[in-house]
Amino acid sequence: MNKSFHRRAWAGFAVLLVLMPGCPSERPDPAVEREREGIEAVRIEGTGAILDPGAGFWNEAPAFSVQLQPQVVVDPRLPEAAVGELEARAVHNGEWIGMRLRWADETRDDVLRTADFGDQVAVQFPIDPHGPLPSAMMGHEGAPVNVVQWRAPFQRDLDEGAPDIFDLYPYALVDIYPDEVLGVIDARAYTGALGVDNPISRPYESPVLDQIAEGWGSLTVKPIQLADGRGVWNDGEWTVVITRPLFPITPNDPDLRPGTATNAAFAVWEGGSGETGARKSWALWVPLRVAE
Amino acid sequence: MPKVYNWQIGREMEFPYEGVRPKRQFAMVMDTNKCIACQTCTVACKTTWTPGRGQEYMFWNNVETKPYGGYPLGWDVRILEKLGVRDMTGPVYEGKTIFEAAPDGEIALGYIPEDEDWAFPNVGEDECTGSMEQGALYTMPHMQWMFYLPRICNHCTYASCLGSCPRQSIYKRPEDGIVLLDQHRCRGYRECVKGCPFKKTHFNPITRVSEKCIGCYPAIENGRQTQCTITCIGKIRLQGFISKPDEAREDNPLDYLIFVSKVAKPLYPQFGLEGNVYYIPPIHVPPRYLTQMFGYGVEEAMETYRRATEDKKLLGALLLFGSTPEIIERYEVQNDTAIGYNKDGGELVRVPIREPIHVRAAYDEQYETHRTNIT
Repeated sequence: MNKSFHRRAWAGFAVLLVLMPGCPSERPDPAVEREREGIEAVRIEGTGAILDPGAGFWNEAPAFSVQLQPQVVVDPRLPEAAVGELEARAVHNGEWIGMRLRWADETRDDVLRTADFGDQVAVQFPIDPHGPLPSAMMGHEGAPVNVVQWRAPFQRDLDEGAPDIFDLYPYALVDIYPDEVLGVIDARAYTGALGVDNPISRPYESPVLDQIAEGWGSLTVKPIQLADGRGVWNDGEWTVVITRPLFPITPNDPDLRPGTATNAAFAVWEGGSGETGARKSWALWVPLRVAE
Repeated sequence: MPKVYNWQIGREMEFPYEGVRPKRQFAMVMDTNKCIACQTCTVACKTTWTPGRGQEYMFWNNVETKPYGGYPLGWDVRILEKLGVRDMTGPVYEGKTIFEAAPDGEIALGYIPEDEDWAFPNVGEDECTGSMEQGALYTMPHMQWMFYLPRICNHCTYASCLGSCPRQSIYKRPEDGIVLLDQHRCRGYRECVKGCPFKKTHFNPITRVSEKCIGCYPAIENGRQTQCTITCIGKIRLQGFISKPDEAREDNPLDYLIFVSKVAKPLYPQFGLEGNVYYIPPIHVPPRYLTQMFGYGVEEAMETYRRATEDKKLLGALLLFGSTPEIIERYEVQNDTAIGYNKDGGELVRVPIREPIHVRAAYDEQYETHRTNIT
């Protein structure tokens, strides 16, 4: 536990005392205490990426209830959040950290059509755990954040293959496509965002996007993707693991090495309610301690 | 929100960004009186730009039959319903634009059409306002009406798609005012689909980002008019550049039609976008409907159009429609001939104000047969 974590923890505790008039010596509410302490990433055995949402080791990590609120700070806003809470657990194996996020969602939204949006969840880390805390709203200029975002449509692509038009619209009529008569190079002009390698068009090898942001509207997919994950929808509930290396490897990777006290923020999009982009529910910074 | 001046509504209005007009502004005039809805423009655009995967239901150019047709279904009725009935009869529009009528937490008043709404691009084709009594077609004026409305992106001065995008993925080119959507930066939020009242941004479900009309910018950069313009067999379109409202030039055919003769009117100016595609209203349609669609001054525009033969400058500009694939930057009428020039002053085309008429005898002596009357 480093000094800044101690400082913040003590400051929080002091505030708590002030807010408890007349009973300074009373023991704090355990739930409030847990919230103050935040999430602890406990150490587990193993190496490499932590990907299994159903693994037994998640039971070794304490569950933390993240309270979400609708994004109402900047337009376009979300007047009412479809998801109000998610359960977060964190583990690490000395190489990778894994966060397992679980929330109730009646609908599995992993197909994108004009009026259909996908379910998503994101975790945000400060790049520098020792510097001034960036704005929880996607960082601010000079204080970047790492946003690792899992996307249900990417998960479906990886599990079942990317859809073609007949998967999305069974009654579509097609005569011929340019790529059926032109070479790959000449047909590229007709491939839109796929042709310019827009990273949100298709997953590279993972359903998670490794990104950087320095404020609203600045979210950028990093050139080298290190994050990974896996999500499973079952019986009205998403269980998603997001994992990334603990140590910085490329520029602007967050420093999450064992012993670090840092923070994590969260966002959830319920595609079935039309949530996308800024229309999301989110949580401000939650302390995150990576065990030695 | 900053205030910008929108000449089409005669006042300042709110817009998410400071008003900066481009150096030049792409514009088009379409004569609805000449459109026959042959869809050649639609097919020309489709085969040029949107034959790819995920673009199956995407028409950057479409032609719909008014009053019932619409692509996507009911696009105009739905946004007009949200905006409410507004008075369009004065030079200054006092009602709210879609930016001023935006609900709390939204940038513009809008909605996302359902998938099905895009699936029937030619719904309502050729349907007129109501049924005709037996024999009613022999009396004038007809009690029922319809007309064809060809549509592309309006490359608006105050584009709502641009204003609605939280990532600034949509931008207006300073060199020609064409509004483009960055295919690498877009993340498919569809705020532009929701925010554009004309529904001229489209979501591609295969690439998972939005796309829109690019104003045929590779052609524009080479001095050529758009594909939908040069392929139009009815010669209903003229594409070029519109001057700033206070810098209109009488020798620019678009300026003459829009600012001088005022025969070409914007589409739904009350939305507040200052679109740059202008329409010559169909002169057989009730002005009340057209005033809602094209704003203040429609009746005067119809009257001016009816009397076009009295104004050689107007007639000359109208005759340049579809006369050349090149962009006409300047024109003049000399000796009953309209002459179009390119930006370097080179002559592009000459069109006689009155086509020469050749009268032939009804009976062909040489072939000993009666001639068929053909043009």
